[in-house]
Amino acid sequence: MKNASIGGYILRRLLQTIPVILGVVIVNFLLLQLAPGDLATVIAGEAGGATPEYIAELRARFGQDQPLFVQLLNYMGNLLTFDLGYSFRQSAPVLDLLLDRLWPTLLLMGTTLMVSLSLGILLGLLAAFWVKTWKDHLISVTAVLLYATPLFWVGLMLVLVFAVKLDWFPTSGMENVVAFHEGWDRVWDIAHHLVLPTVTLSVFYLALYARLMRASMLEQRGLDYVTTARAKGLKDAQITRRHVFRNALLPVVTMAGVQTGSLLGGSVVVEAVFAWPGLGQLAYQSLFARDYNLLLGIFFLSAILVVVVNLLVDIIYVILDPRIRLR
Amino acid sequence: MKSFNARFYGNPRVYLGLVWLALVLIAALFAGVLAPRDPFAIVGQPFLPPGSEGFLLGTDSLGRDVLAGLIHGARTTLMIAVLSTVAAIAFGTVLGALAGYYGGIVDDILMRLTEFFQTIPWFLFAIVLVAILSPSAMNLVIAIAVVSWPPIARVVRAEVMAVKAREFVQAAVVAGQRDMGILFGQILPNTLSPLIVTGSLMVATAILIESALSFLGLGSPGQMSWGFQIGAGRSFLRDAWWLVTVPGIVILLTVLAINLIGEGLNDALNPRLADL
Amino acid sequence: MKSFFLTAAGLALATALSVGGAMAQSQGGTLVQITQPEPPNLAPYVSTSGPIAQVTSKVFDGLLEYNFDLEPQPSLAESWEVSADGLTITFNLREDVVFHDGTPLTSEDVRFTIMDVLREAHPRGIATFRNVTAVETPDSHTAIFRLDAPAPYLMKALHSAESPILPAHIYAEGDIRAHGNANEPIGSGPFVFTEWRRGEFVRLDRNDNYWRDGQPYLDRIVVRFIADASTRTAVLEQGEAHIAGFGAVPYQDVRRLEALDTIEVTTRGYEMISPIVEIIFNTQEPPFDNQMVRQAVNYAIDRQFVIDNVWFGYGVPASGPISSNFEPSGLFGRGIDFSVPDRIDIANRLLDEAGFPRDADGIRFEIIHDVTPYGEEWQRFGEITVQNLAEIGIRATLRYEDLPTWLARTYTDYDFQLTSNFLFNQADPVIGVHRGIHSDRILPGTVFVNGSRWSSPETDALMNAATVATDAATRQEAYQALVPLVTEASPVAYVLELRYPTVLSTQFSDVITTPIGIYGNYAFTHQR
Repeated sequence: MKNASIGGYILRRLLQTIPVILGVVIVNFLLLQLAPGDLATVIAGEAGGATPEYIAELRARFGQDQPLFVQLLNYMGNLLTFDLGYSFRQSAPVLDLLLDRLWPTLLLMGTTLMVSLSLGILLGLLAAFWVKTWKDHLISVTAVLLYATPLFWVGLMLVLVFAVKLDWFPTSGMENVVAFHEGWDRVWDIAHHLVLPTVTLSVFYLALYARLMRASMLEQRGLDYVTTARAKGLKDAQITRRHVFRNALLPVVTMAGVQTGSLLGGSVVVEAVFAWPGLGQLAYQSLFARDYNLLLGIFFLSAILVVVVNLLVDIIYVILDPRIRLR
Repeated sequence: MKSFNARFYGNPRVYLGLVWLALVLIAALFAGVLAPRDPFAIVGQPFLPPGSEGFLLGTDSLGRDVLAGLIHGARTTLMIAVLSTVAAIAFGTVLGALAGYYGGIVDDILMRLTEFFQTIPWFLFAIVLVAILSPSAMNLVIAIAVVSWPPIARVVRAEVMAVKAREFVQAAVVAGQRDMGILFGQILPNTLSPLIVTGSLMVATAILIESALSFLGLGSPGQMSWGFQIGAGRSFLRDAWWLVTVPGIVILLTVLAINLIGEGLNDALNPRLADL
Repeated sequence: MKSFFLTAAGLALATALSVGGAMAQSQGGTLVQITQPEPPNLAPYVSTSGPIAQVTSKVFDGLLEYNFDLEPQPSLAESWEVSADGLTITFNLREDVVFHDGTPLTSEDVRFTIMDVLREAHPRGIATFRNVTAVETPDSHTAIFRLDAPAPYLMKALHSAESPILPAHIYAEGDIRAHGNANEPIGSGPFVFTEWRRGEFVRLDRNDNYWRDGQPYLDRIVVRFIADASTRTAVLEQGEAHIAGFGAVPYQDVRRLEALDTIEVTTRGYEMISPIVEIIFNTQEPPFDNQMVRQAVNYAIDRQFVIDNVWFGYGVPASGPISSNFEPSGLFGRGIDFSVPDRIDIANRLLDEAGFPRDADGIRFEIIHDVTPYGEEWQRFGEITVQNLAEIGIRATLRYEDLPTWLARTYTDYDFQLTSNFLFNQADPVIGVHRGIHSDRILPGTVFVNGSRWSSPETDALMNAATVATDAATRQEAYQALVPLVTEASPVAYVLELRYPTVLSTQFSDVITTPIGIYGNYAFTHQR
């Protein structure tokens, strides 16, 4: 694969996704307009009551007195210059708010991906290796069990056991806010806080990848090329390592890419349980406050995130399987 | 090669799944007979632990019978899960079939549409839908269906594209059959087995989505469901463990049962894999 | 003839100090407070969202503070004087106050805050300071409020949570509604704003130049935001946080935490807030246009059951629109007692008389019951109400929507039959009670006003009299006449007075020292 064509491919892919991302923004913009109630009533509602002058003034300030398509055009126009607007409720530019929350989210997503992928692939491999033995059954049953357990329930139970009863981990948050650690102490502190949320969020995906890996390994082993390779006298271990494993990884990698969006959404629940300061929490709050500039910004950012991850997945694909050509 | 029946029913895991699911179905169908009273009725002291006189699984924070709630909840939960799955399958199948059969621009548009759903975090999107439509059983069905159909569409599209190339379909085309006739008469029946497997697993996912939405306070308020019970009991996790644990285990077992059956179906429908 | 509320600053300070004893308190310590939900911004002068002031009341000072009898105490104003006609209020400011940026406080800051900010842009201030036509500043430390009509309730609204005094040289720059310091407040209070990490915490550090010598004792306050209720409990239990109020901890958990040695619970500190749980009827549409039907519902509600099982005992049955917290000031009144033993019989009789007989299934009519979207207690309350209504033959279906939707339904479209609701009496009935029942508060599109759209000339007149009366006796008489009239008409079923529990770590002393509780400034709080 030549570098030039990879560059061209990436550019082409990015151009292709622009309509999808714009679609995400427009659909959500229109959808949110259907919701009853607006930011002005929420702000007044939080105030426990406000005068009519105040509410009218708020509406004018938010630009809600303009026709809908003008509001949409304004928003889209600003978006082209990466101006995501201003959150009137939080009195801050949307971009700042998003960037504040982006890295905790990326941290949680990153560790979750790493843990669930590596453990999932390992368990799937072992299960396939020990296929139809009690070990395989044990792994499979565990995977199905984990797959069937509600996320928030896992979170609540983990807090109960490992934070409250055993006191091994902090109950919530991303950092110790009494000590305010610096340097490596801070890194260690954040890592300590990261354990329970990561485990909770990983459980489901781990089970998913383990099952997929097992099925995929078994499928690959049954394919003709393996029989051929065996006939050519290659050793089983060699075949597994060189061909089966690499090919079996492909569906798992695809699935991991497809799940990025789901991971972002799933983190809403986990963030709620562990008070993790990520984008999910912000999205949930801004929806219920009708803070649409902020919410649209989150949808926009997560759409970009998903697109980038999917692109990475496609590139990994090529590395794993040189037969696949970038189109 | 063994028959479908032998493969499916010969699998002990499938049996376990079927037995539990049958229990849940019986509860759902005969809720009115098994627990004749309104499951919201305040019938005893609050926080009676399981095993208390007259309340096998205890009572909740207002003195409502947890078992009666589970029985009536089975009906709501299954109804929401099944209806949303049916809606998702219907919509996803039609779109996937059209895209796979016609290809070209139709395919492009429909695939962009599924890409759209892949690009937004679907759980957040479900929250937005429920919040906008206001929480009720019907709106939960809509929200769950809207976020669940894209995988179905992709599965059907892939199958249709594969089947389309096979000889018997080409023969039908040459014989001058109409598109719709070929699609529904020849191609779709051949895509059934992956559809059944995906669909059965989707029921399980729908139950999990419903419970997660309820956990966040977006469940249907007037109807007893398992998610509702967990949502209502979550504050009492420490004092009345059974309020969250019991419906949690019921959800777990039901999702597990459906998964086992789905796997069994998969093994039985794709025997080549199961033999390995 | 003048009526004096003159108080010597030194005297009051000595009284306040005596709470903590005469000896010097140990310096140091970090108090971690849980505030739920996270405040949208830190601009209490334009937004009255509850959580904001839980943070900013430590950063800003008000002209006054209050004791538990709701009497004004000196703060930035060391003394004050209200003229007999109630039209002139003179404040003498302390001369040793500096803002966190080192600039001294002057009367211009007070004028700017009241006239240019609170009276213009504060959601409640627009009403509170409506009668203030000017704030005169004859010298740098005297501020004179000129009013065109008496506003006795104004003297109750001058604490730092409600009317924070801003440094004019900072906040006068640019648009106050989108000010650069909206999330980085600068005031004169005992703690200096340091950092806000969104989704996590706000950090406030000790103000070394605070005007109260030796205070504050604490080095730091951290305000944490935790979305999940059971996690909040766990954090308090683990000692990772030390104080939480306003229902941040599930009521059931409060009972359990109370049993721990490390934690104490108080219901003090809400005397100027006085929350009331109620059900409002749409009095303009059948069936609740009928007074007898409204009374029947009022009788049907099992108040004690709601208090015991939803709010776990943290409440008392309400006896009308005015909270019993106003009993000391004489403004409290008692209405019809709906909690009589034969209340269900009375309710059934009322409905029979009103012309709603039971059908073959025992149902008189069906309605939709909307629920205040403030969390699960409210859902439980709604479920109990449905069961209570079933007892008198009304079949109710619950509807639970999110806050903006519910607000639009209740206060803009009036598209409801009956809905639960939550109103604060605030520091004075004029501020918190009139809005729910006065005819001039029937304002489509304005939230938390008269949503039932009921009013009567008689009750309007009583409230008007109480608004301008400068002597306590006239106001007392007006309210005692008002309450029975309102409960008889029952535009609202006043269900219970909520007694919010505040959960406190025993590590700290003198945390809740005023009737605004965790809206206080913690200047005297210290480690045990």
